Amino acid sequence: MRAPNEAKFRGGNDMKRFLILSFAVIATMAAPVNAGDSESYGDGVTLDEAVAIDVLLENPNDYVGRKVRVDGVITAVCKKRGCWMQVTDQESGNGVRIKVEDGVIVFPYTSMGREAQAEGIFEAIKLTPEQIEARTAAAHSHEEGATCDKDGPKSSSAGAGCDAPAVNEYVYMIRGTGAVIKG
Amino acid sequence: MKFRRLIIATHRDIGYFFAGLTVLYAISGVAVNHIDDWNPNYVIRREVVEVGVLPFGEPAELGAEVLSRMGINENPRSVVRMHREELKVFLDQRTLTVTLPGGHVVDEHARRRFAFFEVNYLHLNHGKGFWTWFADAYAVGLLILACTGIFIITGKKGMGGRGRWLLIAGLAIPFVYLALVVW
Repeated sequence: MRAPNEAKFRGGNDMKRFLILSFAVIATMAAPVNAGDSESYGDGVTLDEAVAIDVLLENPNDYVGRKVRVDGVITAVCKKRGCWMQVTDQESGNGVRIKVEDGVIVFPYTSMGREAQAEGIFEAIKLTPEQIEARTAAAHSHEEGATCDKDGPKSSSAGAGCDAPAVNEYVYMIRGTGAVIKG
Repeated sequence: MKFRRLIIATHRDIGYFFAGLTVLYAISGVAVNHIDDWNPNYVIRREVVEVGVLPFGEPAELGAEVLSRMGINENPRSVVRMHREELKVFLDQRTLTVTLPGGHVVDEHARRRFAFFEVNYLHLNHGKGFWTWFADAYAVGLLILACTGIFIITGKKGMGGRGRWLLIAGLAIPFVYLALVVW
């Protein structure tokens, strides 16, 4: 007949085994897939060819509503939510904002300066007189993303913050579906 | 009687198992609820430095000159001339925004906010994959905790009296709020 203390001790061992097994399973399942030096976000990048950012901004009407891929350097990221990043052509300094749905894709703030490929639907947002005024005010205060998503994260102007690049009263951005950020 | 014992045992074991994660999620919940007031993920520190008038040159040369004048011995991730009067030098978790040619530098350091970055990473499910499954299991666990918790106490302090009214009050608050604000 087994003593009560011995039974308790055996129960403790069972729990330890359960814990060790659980951690082993978690470690196996949660181990990051080795994808070289790149990290993929959302659907990643599916298009083989990128459109040069300069070409995109010079001929926006040719691309509005179409799925495009752009390559460049990340020069800005939404500080609080990681809900957008700006991809800039290193030669010309022209950039386009990649806006993603809050929480669905989160770009790390510390990825600034890294090379990225990003794709999604290219959009043109016409700025209202109030937005143009706000941009002028923010330009003086250097307040990054001052009115980012002012009308709500799902509004048509979401992501057209004060510092989003604008050309002739339009903010051009990509509703991002995925991206690959190089290490 | 057996059924109540099962309810109590289930509530106890699931409660123990998820107690730690509940505390982490609660901390993160408060942190991200107030995202408009602070940055729950990163501590960002800004300093302004004057490095003096800079010569003309390629972005890489200008970046190296700025780093040299600031005594920073680190290879930049990238250097981008955003426009004629602005150069950005990207270092690991640090960005220098240089006004050209005057040499006015805004030095921005970003570091992960200790503990909050990690709990927010879990709570907002930035990792996806395995964590999505575990978070789903946690949600089911909470559901079981709520359902079993209701029936642990019997009598006047349970569903026969005080418990019932508290349950109704707790349910009423979100519905009244929705009725006033959304519907």
